Amino acid sequence: MPIFRRVRTAATALVLGALLADGSQGASNAELAPSTPHQDFVAPAAGSYRLPPIQRSPNGRVVDIDGRTYGLARYTRERITLLSFMYTYCVDPVGCPLAYATLTQLRERLLRRPDMARQVRLVSLSFDPSHDDAASMRMYAGALADPKSPVRWHFLTTRSVADLKPMLDDLGQDVSVELDTRGRPTRVLNHMLKLFLIDRDGRVREIYTTAFLMPEVMFNDIETLLLETPRAP
Amino acid sequence: MSKLKVTALAFALIASFGGTLPVQADETCNSPYTTKLIKGQEDFVHVWTLGVKGMGDESDKLVTVDVNPKSKDYGKVVHSVTVGGRGEAHHTGFTDDRRFLWAGRLDDNRIFVFDISSDPAKPKLVHTISDFTQKTGYVGPHTFYALPGRMMVQALSNEKDHGGRTGLVVYNNKGEFVEKYDMPTGRHGDVMADGYGYDIGINPQKNALLTSSFTGWNNYMMDFGKMVKDADAMKHFGNTMVMWDLKSMKPQKVMNVPGAPLEIRWSLKNGDNWAYTATALTSKLVLIKQDAKGEWQAKEVGTVGDPSKVPLPVDISITADAKGLWVNTFLDGTARYFDISDPEAPKEVYQKVIGSQVNMVSQSWDGKRVYFTTSLLGNWDKKGGDDQQFLKLFHWDGKALSEKFSIDFYALKLGRAHHMKFSAKPVNTAGLKERVAELASNR
Repeated sequence: MPIFRRVRTAATALVLGALLADGSQGASNAELAPSTPHQDFVAPAAGSYRLPPIQRSPNGRVVDIDGRTYGLARYTRERITLLSFMYTYCVDPVGCPLAYATLTQLRERLLRRPDMARQVRLVSLSFDPSHDDAASMRMYAGALADPKSPVRWHFLTTRSVADLKPMLDDLGQDVSVELDTRGRPTRVLNHMLKLFLIDRDGRVREIYTTAFLMPEVMFNDIETLLLETPRAP
Repeated sequence: MSKLKVTALAFALIASFGGTLPVQADETCNSPYTTKLIKGQEDFVHVWTLGVKGMGDESDKLVTVDVNPKSKDYGKVVHSVTVGGRGEAHHTGFTDDRRFLWAGRLDDNRIFVFDISSDPAKPKLVHTISDFTQKTGYVGPHTFYALPGRMMVQALSNEKDHGGRTGLVVYNNKGEFVEKYDMPTGRHGDVMADGYGYDIGINPQKNALLTSSFTGWNNYMMDFGKMVKDADAMKHFGNTMVMWDLKSMKPQKVMNVPGAPLEIRWSLKNGDNWAYTATALTSKLVLIKQDAKGEWQAKEVGTVGDPSKVPLPVDISITADAKGLWVNTFLDGTARYFDISDPEAPKEVYQKVIGSQVNMVSQSWDGKRVYFTTSLLGNWDKKGGDDQQFLKLFHWDGKALSEKFSIDFYALKLGRAHHMKFSAKPVNTAGLKERVAELASNR
């Protein structure tokens, strides 16, 4: 197993462990309350509500796992898109691994609905262009990036921070590098976990932070967008 | 590398995150979507302050006070941003990423956006929204409540009659209008919805958005003494709370809560399904909780002071463990602490006069530091010598408040001290470029 897959597997196991531990703890102290999402309601039915456009998704140059450069718009149009930012060595239990686990659950649900699956894509875009090059992203993605899968999952990076930062800024995605006690950068990138649901016209229609990462609700949101009247050709 | 070592590395890295993890809630009154909880010592308190004619620059301003006891400027005003004019400065709220503070004015309907994160000691005005009423028809942007990537704003009034009917507005974090939602009116079950608004409180686990109700521009801009003698004006206060389906933004239930229910505080304990409010005119503590069937019910569970004397409960603040509740009563300037270990039976266990008048209360996450300010509304504050305007810090040891500092906002010619928010200096972080430089140096 490649090193990145192993890291991801270990991290995911830790996340799941943390989730289970938190869920059974009951958290008598609010400070100890789990920061992971918990859904204690029935998700509103798809199509029974509207998701107003929040903003347009940005464009910018991204690099796929084959090292080819495209505009981000290539990955945020025509299909319903779930876009998130990550980095391959992130192990924050309520950060990238949680997003990964959520996206994996959604992918499985979508694969059980082939009619929907072909109209949806997942996009993971790296925070760290200096470490996460195309080869790293390919290794991290593994079989998930299979172009024959009905649910396309694109693992992207950028050539430089200069290419990346305008996209982060436009979407309001914060990120900072944690420093050690001597002021040197560490391997930890602090960021607020956000997943962006983007419609076929490239408009952001929902944003999920940790408290909102509820696969059932997200699935219904995707279906709600798919139920909207298709654009005129 | 062996799998064991990788796992150990992962554990070590997770442990090393310590206080940097995104959290479920902030200092207890903030939106649950606001990140970067200040678990330890806050460095600054930002006070949204009403300008006063003939005092200083006469304008509304955001005043920053250094509150770190290790600082040489502890207890001092270190910065002030004047926004120009007087428009009834009132409440503020952080964006979800805590980088920006939105601050509203109830009279001229302007919303000011301050960059707090670049330098918390020196907030900078970066954006002004001046078309709130033109876009929405609403008046009085009051509560600012973070949603992911967005800001939800509860208005108090409307431009047609300046009464209490109003609505909710959603902006994206760039300050662009997204959507508006009228507060419900007409009959909803057995309750006549009044269409009024005041505060917002969200419980994400329940998909529950709770709103309360106050009064319109006609009343909140009127002289307080004149208003209470005006029988017709006193009829125009909110008597309802609304539980909304957050995802669909549709009202689910309108509840009768007479007497202007104001601030909403959800229990932050994981899995809890209740919130508190206090009614301004009837001095009641009201519990909003799901019954055995899962239906939301509002129930009076206690009184604040002597309701016959109308002490006017104003701001409330719930402790992080949901066992205690501070309730300020404006007219007697008193802070009261209730034991709410049993939320169905709150008990007042402590009270202290903070000043001739007191409105807002904010506590640190650990509850050990409690801050108070004074202004309610420009035309409702007391007159003459009773019109004290201050920020005071007290320490709370679980039994008594002890004063640590007091800043007289009139003596400093700042104005009327209203809403407070905390901030902290960024610790041990840098931009992405530093990461790139570090990697380059290792090659």
